[in-house]
Amino acid sequence: MTAADAIQIDLGLVEELTKRETEALDRKHARSLSYREEARVHLPGGVSSSWQSWPPHPIYIDRGLGSKLWDIDGNEYVDYHNGYGVMVMGHAHPKIVEAVRKRVALGTHFAQPTEDALPVAENLAERTGLPFWRFGNSGTEATLDIVRIMRATTGRDLIVKIEGTYHGHHDSLMVSVFPPEAKAGPRDNPTSVPQTDGMIPGTTDWTVNVPFNDLEAAQKLFAERGDEIGGMIIVTNCGVVLPDEGYLDGLKETCHTHGAMFAFDEVKTGFTVAWGGAIEAFGVVPDLVAFAKALGAGLPCGAVGGTEDAMSRVIAGTLDQVGTFNGNPLTMAAAKVNLEEVLTKESYGRLDEINRILLRCEDVINRYHLPATMKTLGAKGSIEWSPTPIHEYRDLWAIDDRIPQLAWLWQLNRGVFKSPGSKWESWTTSIVMSDEDAQRYVDSFEEMAAAITR
Amino acid sequence: MVANDLEKIDELIRAEEATLAQMQPASIAFAARARKALAGGVVCSWHATDPHTMYGATGSGARIRDLDGNELIDMHLGYGVMVAGHANAKVVEAVRRRVAEGTHFALSVQDAVAVAEHLAERFQVPLWRFTNSGTEATMDAVRIARAATGRDLVIRVEGCYHGSPDGLDFSSWPELAYAGPAERPVPVPHTAGIPRLYGEALRIVPFNDVEVLTRVFAEEGDRIAAMIMEPVAMNMGIVAPDDGYLAQIRELTRRHGVMLVFDEVKTGATIAYGGAIEWSGIVPDLICLAKAIGGGLPIGAVGGSEEAMGPVVSGTMEQEGTFNGNPLSMAAAKATLTEVLTKEVYAHLDELNGVLRAGFGDVKSRFGLPVTIQTLGARGGLQFADPAPRNFRERVAIDWRIVYLEHLVQLTGGVWIPNGDPWATSVAHTREDVARYVENLDRFASLLA
Repeated sequence: MTAADAIQIDLGLVEELTKRETEALDRKHARSLSYREEARVHLPGGVSSSWQSWPPHPIYIDRGLGSKLWDIDGNEYVDYHNGYGVMVMGHAHPKIVEAVRKRVALGTHFAQPTEDALPVAENLAERTGLPFWRFGNSGTEATLDIVRIMRATTGRDLIVKIEGTYHGHHDSLMVSVFPPEAKAGPRDNPTSVPQTDGMIPGTTDWTVNVPFNDLEAAQKLFAERGDEIGGMIIVTNCGVVLPDEGYLDGLKETCHTHGAMFAFDEVKTGFTVAWGGAIEAFGVVPDLVAFAKALGAGLPCGAVGGTEDAMSRVIAGTLDQVGTFNGNPLTMAAAKVNLEEVLTKESYGRLDEINRILLRCEDVINRYHLPATMKTLGAKGSIEWSPTPIHEYRDLWAIDDRIPQLAWLWQLNRGVFKSPGSKWESWTTSIVMSDEDAQRYVDSFEEMAAAITR
Repeated sequence: MVANDLEKIDELIRAEEATLAQMQPASIAFAARARKALAGGVVCSWHATDPHTMYGATGSGARIRDLDGNELIDMHLGYGVMVAGHANAKVVEAVRRRVAEGTHFALSVQDAVAVAEHLAERFQVPLWRFTNSGTEATMDAVRIARAATGRDLVIRVEGCYHGSPDGLDFSSWPELAYAGPAERPVPVPHTAGIPRLYGEALRIVPFNDVEVLTRVFAEEGDRIAAMIMEPVAMNMGIVAPDDGYLAQIRELTRRHGVMLVFDEVKTGATIAYGGAIEWSGIVPDLICLAKAIGGGLPIGAVGGSEEAMGPVVSGTMEQEGTFNGNPLSMAAAKATLTEVLTKEVYAHLDELNGVLRAGFGDVKSRFGLPVTIQTLGARGGLQFADPAPRNFRERVAIDWRIVYLEHLVQLTGGVWIPNGDPWATSVAHTREDVARYVENLDRFASLLA
C-alpha cells in the first residue's frame, strides 16, 4: 500500500464509535467513577499527577503482575502503558521483589552512598561508553542537572531543544512541549511557548526550539547565536520518530564546532529501545545523558552520565549536584539487580519477538487501507494516524485527535492498556509479555480497522 | 576555654581526623574505587564530606553501620528523613507487601488518596499532590502560586534552603561578599549554571526581620506571587522565628494577596505531629513536604487551600511527574504517617530532648561554653554563639571549625550528626542513645577547656 491508497476515515463514524466505546468503558468502571468523587476531595482532579487523568475518566489501579494490570473494578489488562515506559521488566518481577524485600530490612536511606551505587554506575558506563555518573529521583531532576552542567561549563545560558519534546517539568525545558499550532510561530524559527501557567518570567527567552530531523535549521541557529548557546538536549518523543541518518552526528558536530555541549535525554529511550538505549541504537555518544524511568525497575530514580570533561565540575565539587534521596540504597539495590540480572542483553531478544507479532498490525493497515503508519524500536512502538511517517512534531497537527482517542478506548475496552495521549505516546512492551499478550493488541486493532472502514 | 583559639581547634581537628581515618579504612579505600565511575565517588555532592566520604552499609532502628562495620548512633538520619527509625517494622511490612503487587503504574492508587486525606487532616490544608523530592515540591509550589496569582515575583528568605530548582536555588549559603547589604540582600546563585534571569524574579529578605519585609511589600506588593520560607529555619542550624514573626508574615501576605508557602520539607512531621503549622498555629496557603513523610522512600508533596490549588484543579497549571504518587512510596508513607509517626510519638521525642537539654545544660555550666541549644520534636542542634543567631548572617559569623570539630568528636565517639545541619532523633532512639551524644559533648568541651 502507498500513502496515496489510504482511505479517508469517516469522522462521523469515529464519533459514533467513540460514544459507544465510552459508554462501554463507563460500565466497566463503576467503581473507578465513584471513587473519583472520593479522591478529588483531597487530590485535585482525583489524581496524583495531571497526566494520570485522561478522558473520559481516571482509572484507579489495584495491582500489577508481569505483563498484566488490574484496576479497582477488577478489570484485567495487558499493560502496554507500563507507567509511561517504566516497567519494561514487567510488574513485580521476582528478582526486583527479592532485592527490594532484602534491602528494605537493611535500611533504605542514609543520605550517604552505599556500595550498590558503584556497580550501577559501572553498568551504565558499560552500556553507554560514558564514564561518570550521578543519581537523582526523576527524569525531571536529571535533565535539570544536565542543563545546569551545560550552562556552568560553557558560561552560556541559551539552551536549544527540539520543538514538541518533553524533558520533565522544570522551567528551563518546559517550553514548546506540545505547542498548539496557533502559538507555535514559523517552522524555521519557532516561538518558545510555555507549557503551563506559572513559569518563571523570561524563561522562554533562554530556551530555543528547532524542528526535529532538520540539521540545516539547527546549523542556521548555531551560525546566528552559537556563541550564546550552552548546549542542546534532544529526545524523540512524538510516538516513535526516528532520527534521519546522520542527523544526530550532525547535531553533535554542530554543537562542538560552536563550543556547546550535546546531551541526550534518554529518560524514555534508555533501557527500552535497546540495551544501550539510543546511544547504542543510533551509534552516537553525546557529552551528557539523562536516564530515569526504566532504570529503577519501578522505583523513583534518575541518573546523569557524562564524559570526563563534561562531568569535570561535578567531579571536582565546584558544581553541586545534590538531592537528599539521590542514589538512595533502596533504589540502587533495585537498579543493580534490574541492570545486571533482568534487563540483560539477552532479554532484548524477547522484545524483537513481540515486535514480530505486533508488526501484523502493518498487514491490517495495508489490507484496510488505513491512513496510518507503524514503527517499533525495542520496547517502544506506535501507530500514528498519518498516511506518511511522522518526521517532526508539526506533522502531528494533521492528525485528527478523535482517531487515536478511539484507538485508545478501543484497546482499553478489550483488555489492552496503552499510554493515553496516543498521538505522541503509544506503547511500551515488556520482556515478560507472552505471544498472546501481543496478539491481543493485533486482534483488537483489526477489529477496530473493520469497524471504522465498514 | 579555647573556643576562640583557632590554632588549638585546628590541632584538635587534625587529631580527630586521624582517629576517624583509622576507624574507616574501608570507606577510604572504597572511595578510591568509587571515584572511577561515580563523579567525586559519591551519588550527591553533599556526600563528599571532610575528611573523607563515609559509605553506609545498613541501618536498624537508631543505628547505622558503616562500610567498616562501625556501629553508630544515627542522629543524622539521612538529613532528618528517618524519624521513623531505620527499617521500621511497619514500613518494612508495607514495602514488602506492596512490592509484590506492583510499584509503578503512572496511574493513581487508593493509597495515594489515603495519604492525601491524612495530610489534609494533619497539616490543615485540603488539597494535595505528590512529587519525588523536596526540590520538586518547592518548584511546584512556586509555580502554583504564580499561576494562581498571575504575578511574577517571589520573596525568599536569605539562608533558607528550598532544594535545587533553578528559580529558588539562590541565597541558600550566599558568600557575603556578593550578598549585598543586610537590609537589602541580592540574590546569589548557589552554583554556576543558573541563569541570572531566574534571580531577577526573586526578592531576598533576612529571616526574623519584619521591617525589611514590610518595605518589600510596600515597594512591590502587587507584583509578588509568593513568599516561600522555612517557618523554622533549618539551614542555618535551627533558627526559630521570633514571637509573632510568622503571624505578621501571614498578615502581610494576606493583605497583599500574596501566597504564603511554608517549606516544611525538614519540619513537616518532625518538629511536631502537624509540623510548623501546628507548632506555630499559622496556616499558609501552600505547604511543601518531603523527607520524613515517606519513611525512607523518595517522596515529596505539595498541599494547599482550595484557592491556591485552583490552577491544579482546573489544569491551567500542570502538576506532573511520572513517579508522582507511585504505589510504593504511597504505601510507605501511609504506614509511616498513620502507624509510626502518630501523635504519641512526639511525647517520646520530647523526653529525649529533656535528656539532651539537661546534659547540655550541665556541660555548658561546667565548661562555660558560648553555646546554645534548640530542640523541637525530632530536630535539634547547637549554635556556637550565645545568644543564638537570629538569621543567616549571624549564623555565618560562627567559625565553621568549631562546628566541624564537634561533628568529628561525635563521630569518633560513635554518634553520627551532620556537619552543621540540625540533628534528628527517631521513634527508635532511647534515652541511653541520646546520652551518648551528651557524653561526647562533654569530651568535646573538655578538649576545648
